[in-house]
Amino acid sequence: MSRLLGLVLAVSLLPSPLRSQDSLVVRLRRQADSLLGTWREAQLLADVADSLEQVRATAGSDTIAVGGLRIIVNPSPLPWREAAEHAWPVIDSLYGSAAEDLSRHPYIFRAVDPDSGVRRTVLHVGVELPWDLDVRATATLLLTTVNAPRFDAALADWLGSGLRPTLHPQSERAAVFVQLLTVPSEAVRACFLGDIAHCKDVLQLGDSIGLLERWYATPAEREALVASSFTDYFARGATAPSLQNCRQHRDDACTSLLQSLPPGSLPRPLAHAARILLVREALRAGGRDAYRRLVARPSAPIRERLASAAGMDIDSLVARWRNAALAARPKPLTLPWWAGFAAIGWTAFFGLCALRSSRWRL
Amino acid sequence: MIAMFRAVLYSEWKWSRLVVALGTVAAFAIPLVSLQGAARADRGALQAQELLRSVQSWGTLYPLLATALGLLMAIAAWAPDHRGRHIHALTLPLERWRYVLLRFGAGFVLLAAPIAAVLIGSSLAVLTATLPPGLQAYPIALAVRFAFAVLVAYAVFFAVSSGTARTAGIILGVIAAVILVQVVASIANIDLNLFGAAQTVLLLGPGPLAVFTGRWMLVDV
Amino acid sequence: MSDAIQIERLHYRAGKNFAIKELDLHVPSGSIYGFLGPNGSGKTTTIRLILGLLRPLSGRITVLGLPMPEQHARILGRIGYVPEQPHLDATLTVRELIDFQAAFYPRWDRARAEELVQRFELDGERLFGRLSKGQKAKLMILLALAQCGDLLVLDEPTDGLDPVVRRDILSALVSYVSERDATIFISSHLVHELERVCDWVAVMDDGRLITEAPMERLKHGTKRLVVIGAPAEIVNPPFRVLTRESANGGGAGENWVVGDWEPAMTSYFEGVGASVRDVIDLDLEDGFVELLRSFRKGETRR
Repeated sequence: MSRLLGLVLAVSLLPSPLRSQDSLVVRLRRQADSLLGTWREAQLLADVADSLEQVRATAGSDTIAVGGLRIIVNPSPLPWREAAEHAWPVIDSLYGSAAEDLSRHPYIFRAVDPDSGVRRTVLHVGVELPWDLDVRATATLLLTTVNAPRFDAALADWLGSGLRPTLHPQSERAAVFVQLLTVPSEAVRACFLGDIAHCKDVLQLGDSIGLLERWYATPAEREALVASSFTDYFARGATAPSLQNCRQHRDDACTSLLQSLPPGSLPRPLAHAARILLVREALRAGGRDAYRRLVARPSAPIRERLASAAGMDIDSLVARWRNAALAARPKPLTLPWWAGFAAIGWTAFFGLCALRSSRWRL
Repeated sequence: MIAMFRAVLYSEWKWSRLVVALGTVAAFAIPLVSLQGAARADRGALQAQELLRSVQSWGTLYPLLATALGLLMAIAAWAPDHRGRHIHALTLPLERWRYVLLRFGAGFVLLAAPIAAVLIGSSLAVLTATLPPGLQAYPIALAVRFAFAVLVAYAVFFAVSSGTARTAGIILGVIAAVILVQVVASIANIDLNLFGAAQTVLLLGPGPLAVFTGRWMLVDV
Repeated sequence: MSDAIQIERLHYRAGKNFAIKELDLHVPSGSIYGFLGPNGSGKTTTIRLILGLLRPLSGRITVLGLPMPEQHARILGRIGYVPEQPHLDATLTVRELIDFQAAFYPRWDRARAEELVQRFELDGERLFGRLSKGQKAKLMILLALAQCGDLLVLDEPTDGLDPVVRRDILSALVSYVSERDATIFISSHLVHELERVCDWVAVMDDGRLITEAPMERLKHGTKRLVVIGAPAEIVNPPFRVLTRESANGGGAGENWVVGDWEPAMTSYFEGVGASVRDVIDLDLEDGFVELLRSFRKGETRR
């Protein structure tokens, strides 16, 4: 009987912690909903403030339209139309048909006198710039501040930077070439020598499992990475002994330190220029709608998005990227053709000065 | 004229043989030392960066060596004449400009040794080293650049050394005047950058010191 | 060509305090020409002008028939020069200096050079900087002589040397002159030495030429006269009056130092009512000193 009573008592008491747990969840859920609502209201207010600011900033300004570009500026000596005419073809060549969407996101600029000390209102929307820039500088400004249309966070995260047009594509390719030769990673070197699988690894086009071993295959590379990039980071606290061990060529210590880094902190063997070049090659190969295909499916894996944009399989795209980098080998460090003449000329000049010295003249 | 040149060359060799010998040894050694790590294949993927770093840092010695050789050879060309107040040179039976030309030419001939040493040393270094894939060696370009740098340095210091004290005073006076004008302009808040202009004229483009600037790389991408 | 060196109306200025003015000088070919003067008188400057080391303000210099400095290279090929101070490279040996010099002179006489090396007892492998003063002087003379020049210009070549070395050098010079028809232009303030070898002499002081004459005339023509009863003013004497002062110890006599004297000139004094009680010979040094004294007093100019 007592056992039954205990059992009944236990059963009757069982729902109470569950009930209190249930009320906590409900409370928390209500708080979350309230916060979400507050955030949405704040967003609305911010949007209103931004739009008011935009109206204020663009009041009394001119609008310059070139292609898909809309530039709202105050009257100034800056050569906006000329600069836009320089910049638009470059922008159009990158974003293709998607460049027309840029008209929905105008540039807002305020040109100011660089020599003036007059106080002016702070500009919250748009960019303030001096009005003594030339066409090239203004065009560069347009290229570097353009907002890539529908540029999603996944793509930005993978790229490590924005995707903007460039006036110096050859320099970019040359930089990638130098990285392929000099980065201290066997995987990158294998990519340079033609191993496409390694190229996909170092460009992080596959899964993210075992990146450390795939990117930095040898103990020497891992030790060099710790020494060059993380000495200060690991020098304190619990990781200090492991750092010492790593310096004494103990690979297990180096590996454990690198594996302890937060996700996404492991330095990429190739800097973002390599990935940007890959995207540019994909867009070049894929035609005018390549960019639209690239940003069409933000949740798809990067390799599929790139392949879709390029209109070819990922191996072919990576091979194309590698070829573009190899073709951009920087000019060798020989003297320019005029340097020899200049040196001989100066030698002769100073020799003549010696001959004409008053001591040696009658 | 050939006999005169031989005589001048011999005397100049006697004055400058230590400089030429040391300069030749240094010119031969720098490329070898700069590539000393290249033969170590055990460094794997790290080799390229380390090699380029080593070559670049050792490469700073080439323009310094060129300048030092030019300066010391120019001093050696004229020091004995300066000591004798040029009486002997001025009483020799040939046009004075010919005598100066003989001295100038003798210096060039002697400077051929360190220039050749750079070429031989860098060629030897490249032949005995195992370069990482993709890197290229430029021993001839390096030697040619070194040759130009040595010749320009020698010509500049030779011209200064063969001048009179008044010439040296004028040169120093011009430098002092530039510094003074720059200081006054800075005090008066005038936007004037004479040093920058001088730097541009001397170091960039076809300026006399342009051949010295930049990276001196025996090995590069 | 009658003069090896011809200087006409030469002007040169060195600094504020020294100038050579209106210098006229003629060195006959084949002569041994002594150029006398005290220290700082302008001898070395004149020599440098002759060799083209300095450029005159005005005037003309002709050496071996060619204008200086326009033809300096051709002229210097025929001149052997020994400067006052050693001017050769101290880091070269005797042999190397000989070889160096030989390369520049087409008329270089190797046999003469070798012979002089033996005669002067020079060590061929010794550095010039390690030679003694006398050895350096001998080497410089050797180089000048081996060039087989038509003109030797020697600037105080025996200054500071011991008598043995001086004798060796002078005898080498005399031998050279006797073998070749060369001209020697030798400057010095050692009067006795020049007296023995020179056949022409010029005296310079303060940038001006005081006198230029054959040695015999200067030496034998300079006398000290003891004159009695000479008038205060004398008109057009046939000789040069260098100094005139009262005789020491009172008396009616005066001491005159005269140049260009000849014995027959005693009749001049008789003509003015005076008489010459004594004629005393002066050696070159005394005559040189009296010349300088009179020049500096401005008593006489010729």
